[in-house]
Amino acid sequence: MILALVLFAVWSGWRVFVVDSMVRASFSLLASFVAVGGAGVLMSASYIGVATVFMMAVEMMVMAIFMVAFMMNPAGLNPMSMVHQNRLSMAAGALAFLGLSAAVLTADLPDRPVPPETRVVFDLGLELLGPSMLIFETAGVTLLATMVGAVVLSSQQGRFGSADEGSRPPGLTENGEPAGRVPDESGGHHMHHGGHGDHGGDVDGASDHGQGHDHGGHHHGHAAKGDPS
Amino acid sequence: MILLLALALVVTLLGGVLVGGWLDRVVAGRGAGPLRAAAALAVRGSVRTEAPDDLLQRLAPILYLALAAVGLSVVPFAPGAALVESPVGIVIWGSCEALTIIAVFLHGWSPNAPFPLIGAYRYVAIALPVMLPSMFVLIAAALPAESLSLSAIVESQRDIWNVVRQPLGLPLFVMVGLTLTLRGPMDYADAADMAGGTSAEEGGGARLAWEIARLAMLVSVSAVAAAVFLGGPLGPVLPGPVWLWFKTAAVMALIVLAGTSVTRTTPSRMLGLIWTIVLPLSFLHLGIAGVLAL
Repeated sequence: MILALVLFAVWSGWRVFVVDSMVRASFSLLASFVAVGGAGVLMSASYIGVATVFMMAVEMMVMAIFMVAFMMNPAGLNPMSMVHQNRLSMAAGALAFLGLSAAVLTADLPDRPVPPETRVVFDLGLELLGPSMLIFETAGVTLLATMVGAVVLSSQQGRFGSADEGSRPPGLTENGEPAGRVPDESGGHHMHHGGHGDHGGDVDGASDHGQGHDHGGHHHGHAAKGDPS
Repeated sequence: MILLLALALVVTLLGGVLVGGWLDRVVAGRGAGPLRAAAALAVRGSVRTEAPDDLLQRLAPILYLALAAVGLSVVPFAPGAALVESPVGIVIWGSCEALTIIAVFLHGWSPNAPFPLIGAYRYVAIALPVMLPSMFVLIAAALPAESLSLSAIVESQRDIWNVVRQPLGLPLFVMVGLTLTLRGPMDYADAADMAGGTSAEEGGGARLAWEIARLAMLVSVSAVAAAVFLGGPLGPVLPGPVWLWFKTAAVMALIVLAGTSVTRTTPSRMLGLIWTIVLPLSFLHLGIAGVLAL
């Protein structure tokens, strides 16, 4: 039983890198964690095992949403590769595997089954609020700070105005026309477009105050702007 | 004994789904009976969207239904007799709650269509913060029992039910129930204002499976509420399971009524309400329960 769960955990962990979407990757990872939680329950760590499931359910849900938000992949529905920095990742993976294997092989692991009358949840509570409190609380505060940071980064209303002001969606092809809506050019503080649009090509870069069309898509942007009107 | 409890679980889920469908009809005052509505759905053709995620689309209702069954498995049908007699029963239920959000999200994400997707995102934004009051309420109920086991929580209510001892608990948990069953004021997933949300592109057997899973979750969340706040199977004369069924049906009616009588607000306003009013309220509830349990 434990073996089946562990094998499923490894398989679904491998799926994370094979599937082509952030959402699928997140929930493959969740399936892996659920299997690990199940193995934990079978090894008499009932609270840690079940808590792993509900913590990871919430975390993977949040992770999927933030990854889609940061990847600018519309709703996470477009296929995309889940791997990058292959050499570095392989080296890190091999190193982690060797390190953990060494730890497992050298550590003196207990082999006695836990007696059924042991109050495992009670003992865990004493441990968490006693000797391990500092570790536990440090991890908690770190995670909280990370969450606040992620929310601040993805929030639309920032200290310096709206986050998507003048931004444009990525092109459907490389350097192609942007997908979806075209930034609204009529409102706001635009000066140089009204009367002298004829030398729009000259005022590239420096004089464009963050209106978004400063990169390769400049000319396409003008073409797209003309289309709907 | 295990077989008997498994049978009780299946009977409770099946009977509960029927009662839930009937309650929906009575309270809403329209529509066909549950069986006829189910038959009508089953013979209707299904829709196929462009490039859906077939695996996740099939898994979503199965996962939802399975979570309802697992959640019900920790509820004791008689004092000390649950199918899964775990020392961490309410944590198992909490996991089912959290995974329900994922089942609903996948149900909206997998068809690869606008309305289901918006419904899925909207639901996650509302349902994730609702998990926090849910955890506080359940922990508060565990305090007088000094245990995370649902049987111990039932046992701790021999003298006085938690609904009296912790009056804020049941209303807050009804809100959780509305969220988990996609109902009324908390239905940001399958609401009519988005042509059915996560179910907008679904018909036929798949839709039927989803509606059955929704009703099964209603049974499950009501049974947990009955065990946590109304003493579960405790009661005079009648045997334990009968008491549990009565109390579960009562909570089901309460949730269905709350679903039809309270209006739904915009997601942003609801999000503000949850974080600024419901969450502090549930924390206050936990604090009071903690002081009383000392």
